[in-house]
Parts: sequence; structure tokens; C-alpha cells
Amino acid sequence: MPLRIWRTPLDIEKVELPEAEIHIDRDRCKGCGFCIEFCPTKVLEESEELNERGVHPPEIADESKCVICGFCTAVCPDFAIFVIEKARE
Amino acid sequence: MGGESTIEEGGEVRVGVYVCHCGLNIAGSVDCEEVTKFAGTLPHVVLSKDNRYTCSEQDQDLIKNDIRENDLNRVVVASCSPRLHEPTFRKVCEDAGLNKYLFEMANIREQCSWVHLRDREAATEKAKDLVKMAVAKAALLQPSEEIEVPINRSALVIGGGVAGIQAALDLADTGYEVYLVEREPSIGGRMAQIDKTFPTMDCSICILAPKMSDAGHHPNIELLTNSEVVDVSGYIGNFRVKVLKKPRYVTDDCSACGECPEVCPVIAPNEFDAGLALRHAIYTPFAQAVPSTYIIDMENCLNKEGVIVCDKCIKACDREAINFEMKPETVELEIGTIIVATGADVFDPSSLPDYGYGKHPDVITSLEFERLINAGGPSGGHLIRPSDMQIPKRVAFIQCVGSRSEKNERLYCSNVCCMNTIKDSLLIKEHWPDTEIYVFYIDIRAYGKGFEDLYRRAKGEGVRFVRGLPAEILEDRVNHNLWLIGENTLQNELYKMNADMVVLSVGLEPQKDSEIVQRLLTLSRTQDGFFMEAHPKLRPVDAATGGIFFAGCAEGPKDIKDSVTQASAAAARSGILMAKGKVTVEAITPLYDPDKCTACGLCTKVCPYNSITLNKATKQIEVVEAACGGCGTCAAECPFDALTQNHFTDPQILAQIDAVTEHGAENKIVAFCCNWCAYAGADFAGVSRMQYPPEARIIRTMCSGRVSTKFVERAFARGAAAVLVAGCHPGDCHYINANYQTRRRVELLWKRMEANGLNKERLQLLWATAAEGERIATKIREMHSLIEEVKPEEIEKAKKVFERALG
Repeated sequence: MPLRIWRTPLDIEKVELPEAEIHIDRDRCKGCGFCIEFCPTKVLEESEELNERGVHPPEIADESKCVICGFCTAVCPDFAIFVIEKARE
Repeated sequence: MGGESTIEEGGEVRVGVYVCHCGLNIAGSVDCEEVTKFAGTLPHVVLSKDNRYTCSEQDQDLIKNDIRENDLNRVVVASCSPRLHEPTFRKVCEDAGLNKYLFEMANIREQCSWVHLRDREAATEKAKDLVKMAVAKAALLQPSEEIEVPINRSALVIGGGVAGIQAALDLADTGYEVYLVEREPSIGGRMAQIDKTFPTMDCSICILAPKMSDAGHHPNIELLTNSEVVDVSGYIGNFRVKVLKKPRYVTDDCSACGECPEVCPVIAPNEFDAGLALRHAIYTPFAQAVPSTYIIDMENCLNKEGVIVCDKCIKACDREAINFEMKPETVELEIGTIIVATGADVFDPSSLPDYGYGKHPDVITSLEFERLINAGGPSGGHLIRPSDMQIPKRVAFIQCVGSRSEKNERLYCSNVCCMNTIKDSLLIKEHWPDTEIYVFYIDIRAYGKGFEDLYRRAKGEGVRFVRGLPAEILEDRVNHNLWLIGENTLQNELYKMNADMVVLSVGLEPQKDSEIVQRLLTLSRTQDGFFMEAHPKLRPVDAATGGIFFAGCAEGPKDIKDSVTQASAAAARSGILMAKGKVTVEAITPLYDPDKCTACGLCTKVCPYNSITLNKATKQIEVVEAACGGCGTCAAECPFDALTQNHFTDPQILAQIDAVTEHGAENKIVAFCCNWCAYAGADFAGVSRMQYPPEARIIRTMCSGRVSTKFVERAFARGAAAVLVAGCHPGDCHYINANYQTRRRVELLWKRMEANGLNKERLQLLWATAAEGERIATKIREMHSLIEEVKPEEIEKAKKVFERALG
């Protein structure tokens, strides 16, 4: 059905996607950049700061884009990042 | 090889000619008595008669008696197009014991009386010529036997909308094996999206879902969803079809429990709800989908080829039905008959800026309306305006959006929109009786059973009908109210009316990729772009290509009832072929003379069906007759006359050319037209009574690829003023690509003419479809002006240049 889709779906407010809480252990990071590169929704970016190991750890660019797929945790060689679902109010 | 035995070699050729009046259809502008008298003077003619209706039972019997009593061994009927009644008269011959290939027809109706309504003298002269050509060919006809081709007892139905489902079910119930191919993840088509159906107001999905389920579970139906036909080769009864099955990434183990979308973190607009609601990347398009197996939309899924980033659905699936390793798969099928039920698209009104669709949120299409009013839709059946989610108090419907309009080049009526709007207005009245409803229209077409009743009911309920479409829709930026401005053409006054919501009653249009289907199956399309049937009255569900049938909106806009009716008709037509289990192929395959063959292999290169192979050991060619399509381009290519086409032999066509050019050649156009497009187009010009000058004499070949350069040369050598070669548009050839040979040969002739100082304009090449009668008429008008300019010296010069062709 090749219809041109242009409207904001009417139920956009109703769909509840889980909200993410991203935890980064900055000083464990050795700056490989895997989490930044492989994040499917591009949540992370390299920060300006230098950590204990003298590299730039990632920082969160837009937490709302995170879908909690957990791939960053899976690819991090240093166990320096994990994501949990924010408790609903 | 059929037709090599000449039953009466050396015997006397006895031709009977029958000139039909067709009431006044022919006799109105042709002096049939004079033509009959003239026919009697032609060589080999032993008898000539004129009849009021030659196709009537009585006159058929007359011909049968004449054949027996006067030992006729050739019959010529001058009447309508052979595309209409050749089969009738061939049968007459057979009944009287005469081989049907000894019959020839002169088309003096579609290509003479109907196109020269006001020039009786010229029409009569032309009719005489056409009879003379037919008699000249008839004298050289030979009896032929047709070969039989077996038909596979399995059918392919392309498209799983209601038409495709009905056709598949009918065939499967009859006992045939059916492959139902649908491009979307589920069958159901447009009907599944609609809320209620007119005129009975049945719930659409409620009556469709059981059929969908039947089709999904039928032991004789194999459902191929999320799949597309990518290649079709072969011929009637023996198609080889390749279907690309795109991966669903969910296996048949799926129980449709619905756990996976709960965990899927990705959302996208749902196409089924016209983008008015969301779905997840793993989804089922709608609750009643068949198959119910979920599908993953890889455009939106986080996972890409080979990389699993997110495994939430995999973890949620108890049945381990999710498999990201699935690959596209090509299935090869052996098919006997094909039903094309590819449906229609919906007009996109954003191309009409005056109506503001895509800009004003409360201007919606009738398809969006269906989703909004549907209890299973995004608003739970509450008709709400998208801008503020409020129920509108005043709704305006605008008819003929994308139909009956020169402005957007859609001249046809979409047939369903009037009744659809009336039904929609009643649905609103049913739920919210106080809603004011206005319908702006050009004409209300309530032509079907029960339609008028529904129309009256709507008027009774207070729906107001205003003749005159709005010229413009403006939006109040603050409260989103819409202003419609236009002219009420019944009261001759301008209106400026306010509405909370506007529904554009959008028309139907051909599927965007009709061209691909057309090419795959060598079909033709009308000017509107819908597929064209073999005959609009008598073969309304057959394609011109044997073994292919149409069902539903692919052939033209129609409602559900008509789609279902046509689907059952198509199933019956294809069932007839499969029940017989065999079909005879016209004996128009190549005739081969091994003594003349030099094994040059040119014929093998031009054959579109690869049915000719060169045996290097014996230095001869071998023809697979069952694979031959009968275009005759091999015969046109052979430089040594070793190949000719049965029933369209070189001597027969040359005899036709000679008959045309015997007298007054300097004022005549010899026209070669292919049976499927140009000849049918010339017939269409006749049926539409398009008038054009009477100089053209059309010689029918199956394909323009049959037109050998020597035919054109012969015409010029005999002093013809001009020659026209006309065939299907490049890419549309009924014989795959044989018309590319036509173009090459004509270009070769043009070069030769230029090199010899001849005006190459005298040879014209035209591409015209069966629907483009006007193109044919215009070309002949142009050529009429052209030949008036051709000087006698030029004709003499051409005679000299092509002298060799007389040999």
C-alpha cells in the first residue's frame, strides 16, 4: 500500500515506550568508542573531558532517544556502561 | 510441421466471396452490391454474394451450402474485423469440411465504412481494394493443422485483494492448484481497510475475514505473501514464473500471541491505518491478517543485516519463531493460467494545492475516513478531526477528487466514490445524527442495484447535495475551521461555506508499478493506464495474451460486487482451459526450406522465444514449435527465403501488396499493422468513428517484426506513394521484443532511401497501442498531406531504386 504517510499518528501520546536511565562509569572507560559507534539510535557522543585513564569517555547526547536495547553494555569491553528502565511515576 | 501438404496442388482454386452489409454499418457508406459485382470479376472467384448479416445463422448456412455445392476451396468474407469474427467464419468453413486456414477476411467495416462515413465513392473503391487483397491472399492459402499444447493444471493469482481471493477460492474449489501471490504481509487488500460496504452497509472485514481465512487454509491454495512476481516466461498453459519471497524474519511457528510488539522499542506509522496510528517494528498489519504470522519491518528495526543489536523480541518469543537470518528466496512455479488481480491505487490529493491536503490537518481522504470511522481504527470508531480530536459538527464531502478531471489528467469516472460518500454520510448520521453534512458533486452516479435507494435514504436523513465542486479550501489558522469557496451551478450562485472537516472523495488510479506487470506478462493498457481486455464486450476478463485473465480493479475501477463477479468469471475462464488440459496453437509457426538455408543463424538471433537453434553439425536449423510465439520476425530476417511464416507467407503478403498497387498506386498508402496494437488501434479508430482520409490499405501481420524489408521495397517498386509500418510501442511488444527488429529494419530502409536520394518521409514508422486509434487516424491524415506532395518523378525514381524487389 504505497500511501504517502505525512500525519502525526493520532495515538502518538498513548504509546508508552520505556524511558532509559543510562549509567556511564567514566573512569573505567578506555575510549574505544564502540558504544558511540554501534548505538543504533545515536544516543552517545564523545565528551570533551579526560578521565583517569586519559581518554575521552562517552557522554549522553539525547537520553530520550535511547530504546534500552542494551547493545552498548554488550559491546563495552570494560563493563563501563549500562542502561536501566526509569521507574514510571 | 503443419501445412506442408498442399491438398489440391495444381488443382483449381475456387474462391467464394461474401460481402456483408452489416445492416447499414457497412452498406450505409459502401455500395455493397458494386463491391460484390467487382469481386465476381477477380481471378479464381467463382461466386460472389452480398448478405445483410453474414454472421447470422442463416447466412452461415448459406456459406456452408455454397462450399459443398460449388466446391469452393477458399472463402473470403468482407465484413468486420478478423479480430471479431474470424473465429466464427473459420468454424463455418470447418463445419463444411474446409480447412479453416483456407479462410480470409477483408475488414471493410472498422477500417473502411466506419472511418469514411461521408465519402461513399472513396469508401466503395477502398472496399473493392480490400476485397481484392483478400482474394489475392486467399488464392495462395494452404490448409494447416494446429499443434496441441498441454496445459498445466495450476493457476497463479497475482494480488490477494478480494478479487484475487475470490478467484483463488473458486479455482481451488474446482480442484486446481492455486498460488496466490500478495506483495503485502497479509491478503485482504483495500476491502480490509474499509469500514462498511455499500449499498447494504455490511461490515467490510466481517464479510471478508472468513474468505481470507478460507483462502489461508484451503488445501489447494498456496499463499505467498510478502512476495512479488519477478519473472514470467513461457506461454499459455506453460508459464514459468519466478516469485521472490521476501523474508518476514518470523517463522510459521508464530502463534500471533502478541508478546513481541509489547517489548519492541521501535515505533513507525501503520500503513494499514493510512498512517493515522502507530505500530512497532515487529507487527501484524491488522487483527484479522492472513497469515496471522507477525513480520519485522527491517527499514525500522534496530537490527541490520548480520548485526543483532536488539534481541528483545527474540527473548519475548516463547516459540522461538524469530529468525533474523532469514534470506529472500526465489520460488519457481510451473503455471497453466494466470489471473491478474493487482488492484488499484488511491489518488494522492496533495497534487491539488487548492484543496490543501497535506497542509490543513482536517482535510482528509475517504480512505482515512474509513480508518477513522472503523471501530478497529486509531480512534476506536470516533470520527474525530485530527487537529483537535473533537467530533466535527459540520462535515463536507468533495466528490471527483482525482476523477473526471482534465486538470490532473484523469478523465475517467472512478465508479465507487459517489456511493462510498453516500454510505459514509449515512454512517456519520447513524452515530451523530445532528451532524450537518454537505456533499459537493458534479453528478451523482447511483447506477447499481440498491444504489438509488441508498441515495434517497441519505437525502431523507438530511444530507445536503450541492452541485459544483469548491474551487478552494481555506483554513482558519486559529480554530482550524475550513472555508469552502465555489459555485453552486444549479442555483448560479457563489457559496462560501464553513466546515469542521472536509473529506476528499479520492478516485482510484492504476497501481504505480502496472508497467512492470504489463512488461512481465506482455499485456496492454488503455489510455487511463488500466489493463486492457481482449474485447470490451465479449471477452471482458481475458487478456489479449492467451492464458491470462483479469479480476478486479486492475482492469478498471469497480466496486466489491463487480470485483467479485469478475473474479469468478476469470476463474471460470481459466478453469475452462485447465479442464480441457490442452490448447491448440495457431498454425502460424515458421515454414522451413532446408535446401535454401545456408546456416547463417540470423533467425536464431532475432527469435524472441529462443525457439530456433542452429545445428552446426547438420548445418540446419531446428524449430521448437510449441515455444514459437508466431511473430514471424525470423521469416522477415532470413535473407535466403529459407524461412517463411505459415498463413503469412512471403508470396501471400506480396500478393496483397501487388493487389493494392495494381491500379492507382501513386495515390495509395500501403500500411503494415501488427495484429495486437496497430491493427487493433485501427479497429478502435473505426469503432470510435474517427474519420480519416481513404488512401491507406492495411495489411495485417501478427507482429510488425514480420515486415520484411522486401515488402516495403516491393511496395515502392510498384509505385506506392507511401508506406506505413505500425506496431506496438517499444517495450510493449506482444512478442517480447520483436518490434525492435522492426525499428532496425525501417532505419535500414531509411538509410537506403536517403543514400539513393529518395524522400525518406515516404516510409513512416508508428508505434500505437490498441487504445490509440487517434494516433493511427492522425498519422494517416499526416500521410495524406504527405502523398499529395509526392511528385510523379519521385515515384518513378523509387520504382527504379527498388526495381530488384520485383523479381
